[in-house]
Formats: sequence, structure tokens, C-alpha cells
Amino acid sequence: MPRIPLGDWVNDAVDWLLDHVAWLFDFFKTVFLGAYDGISAVLQAPEPLLLAGIFAVIALWLRGTLAAVLAFLGFAFIDSMELWDDAMVTLSLVLVATIIALVISVPVGIWAARSSRVSAAVRPVLDFMQTLPAMIYLIPAILFFGTGAPAGIVATLIFALAPGVRMTELGIRQVDKELVEAAEAFGTTPRNTLLRVQLPLALPTVMAGVNQVIMLGLSMAAIAGMVGTGGLGGDVNEAIGQLNVGLGSEAGVAIVILAIYLDRMTGALGTQVSPLGRRAAARARAAQGLKIWSYRPRPAVAVVGVVVLALVAGGMGIFGPANDSTTAVASDGKNVGQGKKVTIGYIPWDEGVASTFLWKEILQERGFEVEAKQFDAGPLYTSLAQGSVDFQTDAWLPTTHEQYWKKYGDRLDDLGSWYGPTSLELSVPSYMKGIDSLEDLKGRAAEFGGKITGIESSAGEMALLKSKVLKEYGLDEEYEVVDSSTPAMLAELKRAYAKKEPVVVTLWSPHWAYNDYDLKKLKDPEGAWGEGDGVHTLSRKGFAEDNPEVGRWLKDFEMDEKQLTSLEAEINKAGKGQQQEAVRTWLKDNPGVVDELAPVEGGTTAAAETKRPLDVAWFPWEEDVAVTYLWKNVLEKKGYELNLKQMDVGPVYTGLSTGDLDLNFDAWLPYGQKSYWDKYKDDLHDLGSWYGPTSLDVAVPSYVKGVESFEDLKGKADVFDGRIVGIEPGTGQMDLLKNKVLPGYGLDGEYKVVDGSGPAMLAELKRAYARKEPVAVTLWSPHWAYSEYELTRLEDGKKLFGDSNRLHTVSSKDFPEQYPRLTRWIENFEMSEDELGTLENEIKDRGRGHEEQAVAAWLEDHPDVAERMTS
Amino acid sequence: MSSRLQAEHLFKVFGRRPDDAVEKLRRGCDREELRADGTTAAVIDASFTVEPGQIFVVMGLSGSGKSTLLRMLNGLLEPTAGHVRFDGQDLTELSDRELRQVRSKKISMVFQHFALFPHRSVLENAAYGLEVQGVPRAEREKRATEALELAGLAGWEKSWPDELSGGMQQRVGLARALATDADLLLMDESFSALDPLIRRDMQDQLIELQDKLKKTIVFITHDLNEAMRLGDQIAVMRDGRIVQTGSAEDILVRPANDYVASFTQDVDRSRVLTAASVMDTDVRGDEAGCGCPTATSGTPFGELCAISARVSHPVAVVDTVNGERRLVGVVPRQRLIGSLGDEQGDPAPCDSPRAGGEKVAARA
Repeated sequence: MPRIPLGDWVNDAVDWLLDHVAWLFDFFKTVFLGAYDGISAVLQAPEPLLLAGIFAVIALWLRGTLAAVLAFLGFAFIDSMELWDDAMVTLSLVLVATIIALVISVPVGIWAARSSRVSAAVRPVLDFMQTLPAMIYLIPAILFFGTGAPAGIVATLIFALAPGVRMTELGIRQVDKELVEAAEAFGTTPRNTLLRVQLPLALPTVMAGVNQVIMLGLSMAAIAGMVGTGGLGGDVNEAIGQLNVGLGSEAGVAIVILAIYLDRMTGALGTQVSPLGRRAAARARAAQGLKIWSYRPRPAVAVVGVVVLALVAGGMGIFGPANDSTTAVASDGKNVGQGKKVTIGYIPWDEGVASTFLWKEILQERGFEVEAKQFDAGPLYTSLAQGSVDFQTDAWLPTTHEQYWKKYGDRLDDLGSWYGPTSLELSVPSYMKGIDSLEDLKGRAAEFGGKITGIESSAGEMALLKSKVLKEYGLDEEYEVVDSSTPAMLAELKRAYAKKEPVVVTLWSPHWAYNDYDLKKLKDPEGAWGEGDGVHTLSRKGFAEDNPEVGRWLKDFEMDEKQLTSLEAEINKAGKGQQQEAVRTWLKDNPGVVDELAPVEGGTTAAAETKRPLDVAWFPWEEDVAVTYLWKNVLEKKGYELNLKQMDVGPVYTGLSTGDLDLNFDAWLPYGQKSYWDKYKDDLHDLGSWYGPTSLDVAVPSYVKGVESFEDLKGKADVFDGRIVGIEPGTGQMDLLKNKVLPGYGLDGEYKVVDGSGPAMLAELKRAYARKEPVAVTLWSPHWAYSEYELTRLEDGKKLFGDSNRLHTVSSKDFPEQYPRLTRWIENFEMSEDELGTLENEIKDRGRGHEEQAVAAWLEDHPDVAERMTS
Repeated sequence: MSSRLQAEHLFKVFGRRPDDAVEKLRRGCDREELRADGTTAAVIDASFTVEPGQIFVVMGLSGSGKSTLLRMLNGLLEPTAGHVRFDGQDLTELSDRELRQVRSKKISMVFQHFALFPHRSVLENAAYGLEVQGVPRAEREKRATEALELAGLAGWEKSWPDELSGGMQQRVGLARALATDADLLLMDESFSALDPLIRRDMQDQLIELQDKLKKTIVFITHDLNEAMRLGDQIAVMRDGRIVQTGSAEDILVRPANDYVASFTQDVDRSRVLTAASVMDTDVRGDEAGCGCPTATSGTPFGELCAISARVSHPVAVVDTVNGERRLVGVVPRQRLIGSLGDEQGDPAPCDSPRAGGEKVAARA
């Protein structure tokens, strides 16, 4: 049977999608996030009890007094459990997913109802979406949409779409054929037949579909807590992680209350909007007579009620935090230019465009009015000499622009080189193994078809290549330099690169091609290309005296190759006329550059760091709760903003590797999370360990006498039923236990490691402990189980679990560049066992939802810690 | 006022390559052969003409293609071949849009299971056709109210379809069809779902309305009695073909083949036959000479029996033409009794006539 590599195809497809349609996903992400933020803002704004009142009035309108009272009590209960914010987050998520699901599913359902072919095509897709285990698309959703709400919405959407489509189709198909025929017999157009006959009659079924969409959405929203959507799903996830049955049931009950409310309301709404349902309800009411419990106001009354409550809520929202308007910090200190005019000239070369528009943006931010003018090299020097242009950033000196410098040099100021040395070179893609220098090209002409792809034959580089470089290495017989143009050379490179064909091109640095493709510059041991130029900034005479700050900034101006090529690539991607936007995008990805290049008083790099909120992911494990909230407290005092996202291990590593998350403080390395680390380490940065050593253990309750080490387990399999209770299969600890530790002690024949999960293991431990039954569990420290129960950590005399882990802080790859100060702080951070233990206890004592108070209290007892962390 | 409806060589074939199938049928293939290919011939070469103001009944068992035929008349089904002409237009040539126009203004339809819109009140249902035409609300409600009145439903406007009995629901269906003032009324087994008493009522009402309104009506039924009662012309369909077209008497007295004959076997002839259809026109001329009661051509069969019982000789049938009484035929008693049966023929002499036989018959 041949292996059908479905998995590889999916991987390739995902890669391709990531490479080619990222814009589409970004678009969806923006739409989803926008909708989510909007609804979430509305739901989070009012006082909980007022909003509960609004929900109650809606219930009063749709179902009657009893429903209204119960709705109010239910929501008040959620508020009293301190789950209100989380419940509203979940509700927003479900509402957004539902709305989007309906926008998609109702038209698709109608289409499927009208065409059997469409129906046949749609059905397997729906089956696929509904039955594919959610985890399978939950993780890839992060790749496409990042962590947080959009990924959760997408997962919910995929899951909840099917019933919407199915029920719409069913509802329309169910409409009596004779009725449709009657409509047609009276000359109704197909469109009106749909709108006036089919849809109204299908409405009860369609509404049942809506109801299903919401219910499925809600159940999925809980699962989506694993990818950091937060809300009740996050609480459930956290509770499971800590085996906190109490919190778990609170969050669970809150979800149930939401579910029942949404179910009953959409059910009643179905009755209200469908003409048949309205009549049936009216008849039932007439038969029953007026009763207070089933009293329902007319829609107008209900709307007035909702509006009044909403106005009250809105009013309180306005008057409540009115004193909160200190956010608009006047940035006078940065307005250096005061509207002064500066003209920059540039030659349309990639590095010239990039540096010019970068300075244009920087100077505009500093209050200058900047004009960028494009010139040819000659006229640019002339204008500069005449003083009609203030400065230019693209002077290749001393070689390339030598003639201009000779001519105008005495009327210009050289503000120094900001990049260099530049170089001319031949380059090959890095997949060309064994070719690292010009010498290696010898004898391999056949591979390249004997061609070197050149640029314009008039360019100095081409002349140098043909007349000197090739001869120097004895390549002139073997290779032919193909005259072409810069764009053609780049196109050829792109084509060959995509097909992984051998190609050698004439290139120079800086060039964005080095950013977009993985290329090797061929070494030039003989120095045949000569010394490289530096890229200099030249100004008109006296510009630096007129503008001392700008002069200083330009003199200090420097860029490294990575910065420059990435900026060029960004500009190249954005296309002509969009340079300024591209620069802004680039600056967003490289925060702090403005302050670095154009420092002003008070506007240190730290200010730039604090501008962007940090996305910190945390696991619902005690040590991570402690350290994460500790950093949150400390950093917020320093002006940083932290978004905490509670997630599962896999999603955190994925999120960090895509740069979607910034930090995670709880990486068990080098063993515990080895599999994740190995997979993503190229895209991650290790900020060092802050706690350790930890240990991986197998533990038994201390009432099991005579078992203190792994050796003691031997021959006692019957005591433990031959089982060691494990955690999630595939974790580093489980792999070690199965493949190394048990065989190492000769226990692998006797004992079987039972795959399970952390919470399941803890539940099993709790159960056995309560009954004083013998049990052996896979555990690690620090872990609260050691303080909760009296356990014996089995001694690992042969050190087979390996050296112990330490707790590391792991960040996205770009983090150290973006947050140099924070990187320094985190790298220096350490906690002692006593500190971590007391902090965990403090948090545990205060209970869930009071982590911040606990940290604050703990910091008061440990006054030096905050100081130590930020020095 | 009304217009003439003509169907010319209508074919309807369901399945693949219907045009080929029509060709085969024209060449004389039969339905079973086509069915082997997976195509179904629902209507085969149907032609008829309905004069203005006539009720044309299409009768046949289920599966005979009568409903398909009806739906080709207003274009709900497009004929595979053939033409439908109505009001000077060939409906088969019209575009979808024009066809919808015709359906909304000139042709309306009454359905077997009423097909009332459950989400509309009685008045809204009756006004539906007008709503499609785009008639302003006030006017369409006025006209719908009138139509409901005609159908005998005055005062029920505000009710909902599910609150009405079957007969009343079909009156709403009738009112909906009448409200548009369409000249052609297509009725698809419209009374079949009603119980017998109500059905009779509805038939009476239809006849009454037709006297007043003089629409052109095509009525589908599988009930021969209903067909005989309502139809000016009756077409009998079998297996997609029209096997006989004619008046009720034609069908009954002169069935085109055994199938029609077996069909008419169970009909209560006494309700359909008149003196004209049973009389012997071979007369001597002096049968009406006595003072005995006579009949006219239109005298129903039942009455004829009563007259025959009172006279000792064949009943004379006398019509008045231009104020002058003329003998047109006689009805001998044997003929009267014979026409109730299936076979007609001359009485054969009895081998051993029994004494007092007449007395026995009288007692029985």
C-alpha cells in the first residue's frame, strides 16, 4: 500500500496559504476583531445589573414576566460569581460568530434549497466542518489569525455554520410544494416566491437553525478558551488546569445560564418573527386568559424599556469615569520642528527611497514639514550645492559618486556614512550547497547553464564583473554574463528561487532581495570587486548649523543591513506611491526606531517600549499565575501595558513563534517542553531562567511505606495495580518516563504508564489519597500537590529523568529588539523558592479573581523585589 | 367576453432527451417502450378546444396525465412539443416574464388541497393574485371582499385558513381565483378532497357561479359523476392520451372503446340520460295521438320512468319547435330498462314463460 502523504499536502497547503493569501486572513481578522471589539465594548460598558435589566426586559417582551425574573436572577448570579466580564466576553464571541455564521449560512442554505447540485456539494463540506475535531483547526487558526478573539471566532464559526445551512435548506424544502405552485400559478416572480411564501413559512425551521448555531457556538466558545479568547472558556480551562472543581462549576453554570437564556430567547424570537408562530402564540394566550406570569408588553413598550435602561447605562458610563481623561498626554517635547520646512532630495534607488522616506516620516513626527523630491544624481548634487535641497541620504562615496564630490564637495557638508560598506557581488540562493565563494563557481558552469544573470550592461558593476572579477577567478571562459536589466534579473531570481533551480545573479548590498530570499553573497577572497562605498548623508552648507537637532540626528544616523533591507522590502511590497505608508508599517514593526534615530528630551527608548501593549501568555499553573501577575504589577507601574492571555502550551508556542504573543514566563526547559522548543526555537528567543531547578518526578503518597526510590518499585507492581498514572502523552516528561526511566530501572515489564492528562492525574491522586489507596503518579515540582498532600518523591538515583528543568522566560524572536530595556530586566530576573512559594500561597489564599491584590500585598512584604526586577 | 382555449398536439415527456422521445411517440412508439429508457411520457398528443363560457372536464384515473396537461395550459410546465393558444396568444412562445403576466391577469387556478397561504388571513389570501398584479391595497381588498361574497364567504375576511372547514377553505381558493377576474379558470381536482355532501354543494355553487360569470373553465377530476354533472365537454384520458372527447351523453351512450365503457359502467345513468338519448327515432307519427302524458327531449331519465309507468304504451317524446308541437321519437319500456344496463339489444323471446310472472316482478 503506497503511503498517501495527506499530511504533507496539508502542511504545504497551509504554508502556501500563509505565504500567498495572508492579506485575506488579515482582512478577515480585521473584520472579526472589529465586530468583536464593537459588541464587546457595548456589552462591557454598562453596569452589570443594568445590563441584566436590559436582558430581563427583552425576556419580558419575548416570553413574559416569569422569564424576565429568571433572566435577571440568572445574570445577577453570574455577576455575584465575579464572572460578569468573562461572561460578556463569551457572549460577544458567540454573538459575533453567530451573526457571521448567519450571514454565510442563510444564503448558502437558500441556494442549496433551490439547487440539488449545490446541496449535494455543500453537504459533505458541512459534515467535514461539523465532525472534524475542533483541536485540529483551532491550532492552525492561530497560524492564520493569531491568538485571541479572531481565532476563537473562526473555530466557533466553522463548528456552528452547519446547522444554519442545513436548517435553512430543510425549512425551504419543507414548504408545501402546492403552495409554491400556487404562488407561481398567480404569476409570482421567483424572488417574491422566496421572500413572501418560502421564507416566511420556513422561518420557524430557520430560527431553530439559528438557535442551534448559537448553542453550538457557545459550546465551542468554551473550547476556544484554549487559544486565548478568554471569557468563560478561559475560566473553564484554568479550572481544569488547577483541578479547581469549584471554579470549574461556577464557570460551567455561567455558561449554562447564558445558554438557557440565549436558547429561550431565540426560540421565542422564532415565534415572534414567524407569522404562523405569532398566531399560534396569540391563540394560546387567548385560550389561557391574562395572567401576570405570562404578561408580555407590546413591542413598543419593550423597546421603550430597553432604550431607557440603555440610556441610563450610557449616562452612567459617561459620568462615571469622567475623571479618566488624563490619557491625552501633550507631547510638546517632541515638537522640535515647529512647522519648519525641510526638503530632502533622493535618487530613485532602493536604499535612497527607503532612507529618505524614513527621514521624512521621522521629521514629520518631530514637527517638521518635509518635502521629498526625486532627482537624477547630477541634478541632485546641483540642487544641493545651490541650497534648494537641504539634504540627501544616498551619496555613494568615495568611489561611485567621486566625480560629483570633486565638483560640488566644497559647497556641501558630509554628515557621515549611515550605512556601509556597500558591496558589489555575485549571489546564489542558499539552497545551492557547496558554493560559498567565487572560487567555488569554477567547474560548475553546467549547473548554471553557463550563465550569470546580469543587470544593465551600462552599469559600472557589469563592467567590473566582465573585465576584472571573472578573469581574476578564471571564470571568463566558463561563464557568460547575460546582459539584462535590474527588474529582469530580479524576476529571473524569483522564478528560479521558487523552483529551487540553480541561479547566479549580479547583486549588490544593500538590497531588499537579501530580505525576501535566502541568498548567499559569494565571497571574494582576491578582493576583485574592490573596496565598498559607504552610503553618506550630504547636506547643503550650513544646514547642520541652522538645524542643530536634525544635524545631530543625521550625523548619528546609522542602519544595519537587516533594518535597511527589511524597510526596502516593505516599500517594495507596498508599491509606488505608498512609500510613506510602507515606512509607517515598518516603524510599527520596529518600534523605538524613531526615538532612537531622533532622540528628544524625555522621549527615551523606554517610552517607545511602553507604547505597545505586551501580549503575555500564561498557563493556568500556579507558578505561572504568580510570576505573570508579579510582572504585570511591576511593569504597569513603569508604564507598560500587559494583556494577559491564558492558553494551552501548544498555542502559546505557536503564538510566540508567529510574533503574535510577546512573552511566556513558564517555559520548562530544557526538557519539559522540549518538543515545542525544538520545533519553534528558530522563531523564539530564550530570555533565560528565573527559577530552578525544577524536577520531574514519580511520586507516591507517603502512607505507601517502603517506596522511596525507583528501585523500591520493583516487585511491587501488584500494590500499584501495575499502573503509573501519567499525564498528557507526548509531553517530554512522559516520553522520558516511558523510554528511559522505566527501562533504566527495569520496571518497563512490570508497570504500564497510563496516558491521561494533568487534571485527570490530579483527580486520580485525589481520589486515591482520600481512600488511602496506593497510587504512583507522574508529577513535577514546583507543584501545589506537594503542599496539598503528603507525597514521597521517588529518588532517581541514576538521574534518568536527566538534569532538572529550569523555568525560563521565552519571547518572540523580535522581542529583544523591540524591548531592549525589558529584555535586560527579564534576563536579570530571578526568584527564590521561598519567594515563589509565598507568592503562590498569597494568591491561593486570596482566591481566584484577586490575583492582583495578592501580588500587591506580597510586594508590600517584599519591598526590594520590584526594585530588583527593574534595575 | 371570454376567449377560446386551444391545445394543439401537446406532448410532455419527463426524463432525458425528451425531444427524441416525442419523435418516437409520433412514430407510434408506446409508453412502455419509453419507460424502459427511463423517460416518462406524461401527456401524448393531446388536442382539444374549449369554447368561451364552457366547462371542459378532463377525466381520468390517477397517473393518466391529466394534472400534467392542466399545468401546461398555464405554463407551470413547459410542453415538450405542441402549442397552447389562449386569447390570441401562443403561450408556449412567451418569455418567462410575459408568461407570469398572463398567469397573474388572465388565468387563475384552484388546487386540490386548496393551497391557501397559512400565514395570510382569508382576505389576504383572496387578494393574493391582485397583490401580485400590484393593485393598490384599498382596491384589492374591495375586490377580494366581493370575490369572497361571490364564493359565499361574506363575513369571514378576518379569519385564518386553519380556522375554516375544508369546504370553506376551498371557497377561499375559489375566491382567490375569481378575484383576479381571469377569463380562464383551471381547477385541479378541486373538489376531490371534500366529503361527498360538501362536494355536491360546491358543484352546485360552481354551476350557479358559471351561469352568472360565464368563465372558461378547465376542470380536472377522476370522478365520472362529477364530470357528467359539470362538463359541457368531457375528455377521457388514459395513459397520457385523450381517448375520447364529447358530451356526457356521448361518453355514456357511445363510448369510444372498452376502456371508456368500463369506466362508465358504474355511472348512475338515470342522472345523466334524457329522453333524447334513449328514444327510438324510428316513429310512425301517431304515437302522440292519445291523451296520455308525453315527454320532451330534455326530460330526465327518472321522470321518463315515472311517465312510462303511467302509460300502457311507449312514451311519446314531443318537442315544441317554433310554437309547433312535433313528435321526435318514442321510448318503449324495454329500451328504458335496457339503457340502465351495459349492453343494449333487442329483447329475446323467453323459452318457458311463467304464468303470473308479472305479479312476481311487481311484488319484488
